[in-house]
Order: sequence, then C-alpha cells, then structure tokens
Amino acid sequence: MIAGFSYDSKAKHDRNIKIGDWLKTINNMEVNVHNLDDILQKFINHNEVLLTLQRVAATEVTKEPPINTLNLESAFVQDLLNPKIDPDSPVVLQKLCGYPVGLIYINTDKLDENNKANEDLIYYFPKSVQKNLLCQSRGMFITLHHLLHDITATFSRVSSLMYKEKLVHVVYTKLQNHLLLFMLPDERASVKEVVLMNNQVLSYLDFTYQRIHDALTLKRHIEQIDSFLFRYFARVICNTDWATTEQFMEYQFDQITSNNASVCLFEDLMPVVPTLKLPDEAVTQVDEALSELEASDYREWNEDPLDCQRLFTILGSALFHSGYLLHSHLMDCDLVNIYNFCKFQGIIHLSRTEPVKSLVLWKEVFLSNSTETSNNSQSEERKYLLAIGNGKDLLVAIMEAGGATEPPEDNMGPDAFYVEEVQATLAHIQELGLNIVAERILTSNGGYAIANPMPQINKKKDWKGMGSLGFTKTNLPQNSSKECTSGTKKNEVISILKRRNSEQNVLNEEPYEAYSEGSESQCYSEALSEISDESSSRNPNLRYDSNDEDSDFDDYREGSQISGSSYDLSEVRQLLLSDLGEYQPVQLTSGRQNVLYHFVQFETAEGILVCPLECHLQSNTYDLILNNFRRCCQNIHEIFENTQRFKKLPAKDIAKSLMNKSLIAITEYGMLFECPFIEKDARKAKITYWVIGKLFYEPYPRELFVCYQDGIPQNLADLAFKIGLNCSL
Amino acid sequence: MSVYLLGITSAGGLPVFSRKKGNCESLSFSKLGSLNGVHMFGKPLNIELSNTVTDDYAVAWKEFNNSLVIIGIASGCSVDVLNRLLKLVYDAVVLIVGIEEAKSQRNIERLKRELRVCYPVLDRLLDSLDCGDSTNKHSSDIVGYVETILCPENYLIQIVLDSFTECVDSMFSCILVNGKIAVATESWWSLHPHEIRLLLLLAVTENKDISKDIPVFLPYKSPTVAFRFVACSLISDIKVCCLCGSTPSLLDVEQAATQCFKNSTDILKSASHCVPRNFPQSITLDCGVLGLLLINIRLKKYMMSKNPQQTTSRKTSTSSHRLDILRTFFYQAVMNTLILNTQTWQDNNLHQDEKTDKTALDKDNDGIETYWCSEYHKCHAVKVNHNILCVLYNSTTPTQAMRFFSKNILNMLICDKQVCW
Repeated sequence: MIAGFSYDSKAKHDRNIKIGDWLKTINNMEVNVHNLDDILQKFINHNEVLLTLQRVAATEVTKEPPINTLNLESAFVQDLLNPKIDPDSPVVLQKLCGYPVGLIYINTDKLDENNKANEDLIYYFPKSVQKNLLCQSRGMFITLHHLLHDITATFSRVSSLMYKEKLVHVVYTKLQNHLLLFMLPDERASVKEVVLMNNQVLSYLDFTYQRIHDALTLKRHIEQIDSFLFRYFARVICNTDWATTEQFMEYQFDQITSNNASVCLFEDLMPVVPTLKLPDEAVTQVDEALSELEASDYREWNEDPLDCQRLFTILGSALFHSGYLLHSHLMDCDLVNIYNFCKFQGIIHLSRTEPVKSLVLWKEVFLSNSTETSNNSQSEERKYLLAIGNGKDLLVAIMEAGGATEPPEDNMGPDAFYVEEVQATLAHIQELGLNIVAERILTSNGGYAIANPMPQINKKKDWKGMGSLGFTKTNLPQNSSKECTSGTKKNEVISILKRRNSEQNVLNEEPYEAYSEGSESQCYSEALSEISDESSSRNPNLRYDSNDEDSDFDDYREGSQISGSSYDLSEVRQLLLSDLGEYQPVQLTSGRQNVLYHFVQFETAEGILVCPLECHLQSNTYDLILNNFRRCCQNIHEIFENTQRFKKLPAKDIAKSLMNKSLIAITEYGMLFECPFIEKDARKAKITYWVIGKLFYEPYPRELFVCYQDGIPQNLADLAFKIGLNCSL
Repeated sequence: MSVYLLGITSAGGLPVFSRKKGNCESLSFSKLGSLNGVHMFGKPLNIELSNTVTDDYAVAWKEFNNSLVIIGIASGCSVDVLNRLLKLVYDAVVLIVGIEEAKSQRNIERLKRELRVCYPVLDRLLDSLDCGDSTNKHSSDIVGYVETILCPENYLIQIVLDSFTECVDSMFSCILVNGKIAVATESWWSLHPHEIRLLLLLAVTENKDISKDIPVFLPYKSPTVAFRFVACSLISDIKVCCLCGSTPSLLDVEQAATQCFKNSTDILKSASHCVPRNFPQSITLDCGVLGLLLINIRLKKYMMSKNPQQTTSRKTSTSSHRLDILRTFFYQAVMNTLILNTQTWQDNNLHQDEKTDKTALDKDNDGIETYWCSEYHKCHAVKVNHNILCVLYNSTTPTQAMRFFSKNILNMLICDKQVCW
C-alpha cells in the first residue's frame, strides 16, 4: 500500500497515485510482501517503471497530510524558509534604494580610465548601479581614502555626510587593493554604532565564506550574500529584531523622521555572547554532557569494534537556551562568530520567539585562527558547524574533517550518526531539566534583581507576581504570535506548582495530567500548531504527530551512549529542579534597598557578556535611563579603547604616537545624571543615577558598566567585585 | 601633532588661506584641490560631506553661506571640537572682512591680502585643539569659550572701568590681564562668545604696539557695519579694550585711559601678580588638587588654573601637561554631557553648537557630575546651576571624596564677590 511519498518525488506532484492505493504489479511482475525487496532490487538502474495500482481510497490525499493543513507557521518562519515576496524583485529593490543603506566592494586597481565603466565595482548592494547611492558616489570615497592616507599616513575609518537632509555614515574597510564601503543612516546607527555593525557583518562573511574577498567575488556565493544583506538591511531599517520581507514592504520610513531615531545599542553590537548564568550544579551537568559529546567515545556503545576511521572530530560545542549562552567549550572568537552567524541567520530570533520541534543546520565554516593557514596552502582540515535545535534549546558543535580523521571531501554533508549524537546530547540535557532551569532563571531577569526607577523610596518589584495570568487564560487558542506572552505564562504555571508536581512531571511523562482541566485544553490547542509550544521542549517525550523524524529521534535516544550511563537521570533532574524551587534573583548591591538599574560586563577573554537578560520593566523612565546608559557606555568604551590601544603599543612607538596623551591610562569613568520621572503620577519628581564604566586587567581583561541610583552611600568596588565573583565560571 | 586649516572659495575652488601647525609638510596644491574636490563632488548627488575620521586624525569640511569652504585636519582631537573650531575660523574671517565681502568674494586677491591680518588669530585658534601635545604654549585655550582671570582686585577695577567707559562713550569695554578678561562691562558680555574670543586674540596677537585701532565687523551683532576695536596697554600685560564708532579718535581714547587709570596703577600691578594662579591667593586648596577649570556655561567664560599650590615642588613641565589633561577632560567628558544644548549662551544663538546626531544626549537626561580615573591622575567635574567646575586631582585622592572636594571649591570660588565671576 502507498503510505506516503518521498519528499519532492515526482509521483507526489503528478497526483496520479494516492495514499492508500494498493501496489499490484511492477512492470507486470506481481508484487507481494515477500518478493517486494527482490523485485525492487532489479529496478535499481531503471528510470521508468510501470506500476499497476488498485485504488482503494476515495478521497484526494496526495496534497498534504492532514496534520500539515493545521500548520501554524508564523510569518517569520515562513519568510525564513521561503519568502512570499522575492527579495530580488524590483519592488523591493525600489524600496530599498529609497534608504541610504548599502555595501559595495571596489577593486581600486581598476580605476584606470582604460577600464570599462563600473569595472571596478566587484559587488554592490542594493543591486542597482544607478540607484545605489554608494555606487554613484564611490569616486568620492575612493579619492578621500587615498588622499587622507597620503596626507596623514593613516587609513580612513568612517565618513559622515548629509544626504537629503539626513546624516549618513560610511565605514571604510581596506582589504589589500580592495575597498569595502558600508553605509547606514544616523537614525539607525550613530558613528560609533555603525563601525561596530560593520565589524559584525564582516566577521560574519569571514566566518561563513572564509574570506570577505572570496565571499564577494565568487559567483556561487553572490545569491546567498544578497539575501543575507537584504535581511540585514531590512532588519536595520525596520528597527526590529527581525523583519520579514512583507514587514519591510509595509514599513514606512517617513514616519520615523518625526518619530526620532532608534534607541542606542551597545551590548548587542559588541563582539560578545549574552550569557545566562546557571547554578553550579546545572553547569556541571551541561559540562559533563558536552564533554561526553566531544570525547566521541563510542566503545561502550558499539559492541563490534569499528575498523573505519572517523569522519569528524568534534572540536568544541556550546549550548544556548532562548538565544542565550548556557555553557561553551569553544574558543572565544569562535563562540562569538557562531553566535553572530546564528543571529544573522535568524536562529537566535527564532529560538527567542518560538520553540521549534527540530532544527538541523549544517554549514562549512571558517574559524578565524585557521584562516591564515588555509590561506597559505590548501589546508587539509575543514570545519563544519552543526546546529541542532529543539524547543528553545540550541546545541552547536564545530566538527573538523581532515587532520585526525578521514581526509575531507568537497561539500561534505552532515553525517546522520553525528547529527543523532548531538540530538541525543540535547535530549539528554533536556531530560535533565536544564531547559526548565534556564527558563526559570530567564524569567527572573537572568538571575539578577533589578530596581525599578522610582522617584523617592525605591520599592523592589515583585518579580514572581508580575504578569501572573491565571489558568483561565490558557484556554484561549494560542497562535505563534502569542509566543512571547505564553513564555512567561508557562513559567507562572511552573512556579505555581509545588515541588511535588515538578517531580511528577518526570515520573509521569504526562505533565498535563497533573494540571487542572484548563491545561488539558491548552494541550489540545498546542497540538494544533506544529511548531510546538514551549511545553514540547520541557517534555521531550510528548508526541503530537508521528512523522519519520520524530520516531527516529526516539530510537537513537534509547540507543545513544548517554542513556547508557549508569546514573539515574530523574534523580539528577529532581535535584536540579528542587534546588531551584524557590529561586530568587541575586541582589548584587549590598544595601537594604536595591538601587541597581542595569549592568553590563564584557569578558573579552571568554567572549561572553553578562547582564540582566530580558528584563522589560513597564516604565518609560527606565527605558529613558537605559537608552542614556547605552549611549554613555559607547563613550566610555571608546575612552577605554584608547587605554587598551596604548597598552598594546610597542614602547619604541610611544613617542611617535599621535594619541592624546591625556587619554592613555583611564580605567574608570563615571557620570551622574538627573532625569524626570515621566510616569504619569509624579511628573515633577527627579531621579538621579550614575553610569559608571570600569576597566579591569586582573585577572583577565574585563569591562564592567553599571547604572544605579544615586543617593545611597555605596562602595562601587564592592558591587563590581560581587559581580566578578558571580561570573567566574 | 599636526593641524591643517584651509579656506577655499566654493565657486572657483581657489585657496584663500592655508595655515598649518606642528611638524608636518605643507600641502601641495593638488592635495589641496583634491580635498576641496571630494567635498564638491557630492553636491550634484545631494551629498554634503561633513567629516571623516581616520585612525589618528579627524578631518572636517564646512561650507559657509555657499561661498567659503573651510577644511580642517587635525591629529588627536575629536570631530566635534574640530567642527566648533571651523565655525570660529569663519567668524574670524567675517570679523576682518565683513559678511558681504566673505560672501561675494569680488576680488579674491584683495580678500587674501585682507585676511593676512587675522593669520595670527587663526594660528592662535589652532592652539585650542587638544592634540595631546605638551609643547603647546596655550594649553588653556578652549574652543568657543572666553578665558577670564579672577583677580582679587577685580571689584575695584570694575569701578574704574565703568568711568572709563563713560569717558570714551562706548558701552563695550574690558580689562585684559595677560590676555584674559579681568572685568568687562555688561554690554561686553552681551556680545557673542565667539566675538569676544576673537577680539581678545586680536588684542594680544596683532602687533607689539602700545595701542591698536582695528576696524572689525562683529559676525553676530553687526556683520555688515564695521566698528573700531581699540586696545591700549596700561602697564605690561594689562590692556584696556573697547569697541567704538568713528569717534573718539585713538588719541582721545589713550588720553581717557591714562586719565582714568593713573590713580589705579598699584591695583593693576597687584592684579598682574595673580597670573598664573588666575584666582586669589586667599582661596587655599588641598595639595591633592593639581588644576582647576571653572566654567560659566551661560556666558561661555572660564577660568583655568594649574598648580594652585605654589609650594609643591613639582616640575613646571608636568604642570603644563595638567592643563592639557583638564582641557581634554572638558572636551571629551564634560562638553557634551554636562552642557545641554538648551543652556548655552543667549536665546538667539541657542542651537549654534547643537549636536543633532544619534550620539547627542536627549533633553531629558541632564548630566550633573562626571569623573575619570586614570593611572596617573583623576578628574572630576560638577555642575551647579550655570557653573561647572572641573578639578584635576592626583591619583591618590579617593574617588568618593572628589565629589565633596569639588563642590566645596566651587562654592568658595563663586561666593567670592571680589573676583566678579
């Protein structure tokens, strides 16, 4: 009987054959259960066969299996997989050219008059030489870059110009005899921000295509880069975390001129990965799981010794939840690059907004430290990024082919065995309940207590009580656009449950049974959406549909090495969750009242960023303060860069250096601000707060920025030190 | 350190003036042309190039009244400071030739010749860039602000100045001690800070004569009709300056000056001893204080002092560096955080320095204090109403204590009625 069709098969599209038909003969040979395999063997090399079928089913079922008609893919996912509007279409181009954005790559050797017009242009985006502002004005930038080097013996970094009464910034990047220009309007990125954004884009290109030059010259990459840049600019113009093509088309830039500029960005642009700090026991568990994966020790698992060489070595791995790093076994620069890659590919946004059932990503990547060697000779090793997603969790691993393993081939695909191994590790981590732990910490600001700005006496916000929605609301059918709210809702559910219930979750594997009636209907409404809700990540064994992928998933879970290990998972899980039963965010300040508004810590040595995550206080004053905080941080960071630059300067060059000597050794920079309390009640009240940045060298380079209320005598050093202790991994 | 300053006509691309400072080669004519060319190139494309930052340099272009492009290239300083300088440079041009001539440029050769007068002024203006170079003799120049001196005798001098002002039938006059304003009439302070600054430079730089009489246009108050700027030396380092119409003659002014000040020479002499401390000896400071910068943001005037503790046995070379540090601190940390756009000077020129890009502070957040801690020193600035005090401390001063020290010093300085702050 026809059970289904292989993906994209011709038969599926012809619609002659239907699911449920009986297969009678192949090329007039009668088929039955016993001889099917033999007969199929004979036809391996045949292109055409004659099938005789007996029709049983009366309904048209070739279309899509019924489960897929209920497919509630969000617009975002649809756009990510196959956009409705082609980004290359002239309408989109027209719209894109209306904004002063762009990226062009110029060969400065081809500027001779003998060369054809536009021969110097190697790559340009948006794709219209006529309408692309950068293409039109490139002569100016090329001349300027060259001229200023002649005069000052330094290279240009960024130019600012007025275009149609708008301030626009253009960043220069010189690559041998090529020049790359990157342009954004000031409304979207200030001078300081645009430089950081340029760096992010370039490191993405480096990481994904080995070299920026290759990325922008080789024909085979062009299409990918076009769509990448389209997404990038669309996102920046729309000023959102992610913009689908449709959203971009609907977006009106003109509103913004009256609407003021976008908020200041700071943490998001730095080469660091936002990190969620787990309790120590949880970290140990993740550490163990990742180590086991990386060790690739399959002796116990395989009864017969394998005599073939491995395909890949796992160089390192990292675990993310909801787009935040939980634990990493990667070099700092690789980690940052992977995060960057995931961010630009929309994976971070995906795992932040809607849980997925299964995500497998395989991509050849180029680690920054290996770039140099592969430049010299055709290096043997090849690195691949494997990202496995389930629910809101994402496990990434860097695989190496060549070196210690079998010699790599071109275009190596993912090996099912390794994919399964990584999936198994992720499943194991979820079975331990680590995703619940992470989610719970996340809903309490990533574990740090933050004060809500109040004019006089500061009341600490009751976090647990915030937005507590009852069970009644969960009856509402959910769609993916509600994912954000449902995230917090779920956690209310969990936190309301006593410890006993969370233990039951493990034992019963049917957690919703333990809930009230309301949650059953909730379960139903979730089953409607194939992109499953968060509950799926919490209960990996809950199955709504049984297509092939999912059952595979179960098979290897049982067979994988990790399940074979001796200790009892449920015990560990119980331990982890019970510890968290009364989880309280850490108050970092030592006074009776919490005065801390925000803090940001860069650990550049590890490439990680520590700060309160996802805290959205419903307060305009807080937003105002935070925006100013970020702007000040940009300034402070710029001053610190001078200090760091000077430290790196060789002693003999110090005298020659043109740096301002007053700026070379600043390690702390603070500002006190006063702002009105703009909540409706107390308009006249003022809030005074400090923004302070500190640069540490010991034990490793770190930058710490804090924002706290003035007035309570407090030793900053204490505060900083406490964070420092908390963060030591 | 190197700075270039170029003035080029918009229409013809002809260089009007070209100044440089520091050990750098002069720009060739072709480079000069290219610098103007890149700016011109954008015009048909609706692009107006405003600035470019390189690893160590800032380059800024500014076109004034569609007639004159002024280009500045400087190492070590910020674009913001450079932009402010360019505006001041254009005002200097207008000061000498008037707005009409600056716009129409009927005779380029004559314009060039006339502008020679202000070359010393332009050169001196370049000193106000903080290039981080301790060889700079004028580390206390701050772009767009007017330097003053707080002599204890100011109160007495003010009385004499008022009678002098009556004698010469002018409302605008002031007394300079070592090129810094000791006292001035109320009308004098109603002039635009740029005008005051430029007139001061004209008084101290032009030539070595005892008296000078120069026709000037006031870029903001009277850009089309010229005044006469008269400056007479009273004793060495002390000058009296006034703005007047066609009368009285220079001789009359000189006579009025001798008449009025002949009985006050002792006061003037003791006032000149205030340099280089720049504020009264009676105000004593902790020895941890290495330098002071007091600013009035409404009038855009300031007093800067290094090494207030004369007893400390520090080398003078390090003490001149102190002013550099204070000035850089002011440019980098104070100018755009503590001084809001809306609070500067007078209503008619509110937005002259306004930063409109994304890095500018929003109106709601008002900076009150700021500080730096470096390995070698600490800087702290505090704002109370219209006054800002920046203090340079040595690195052993506790960070928390700086707030209280600074507030105390600020109070002492502004409460002293003798100095006429």
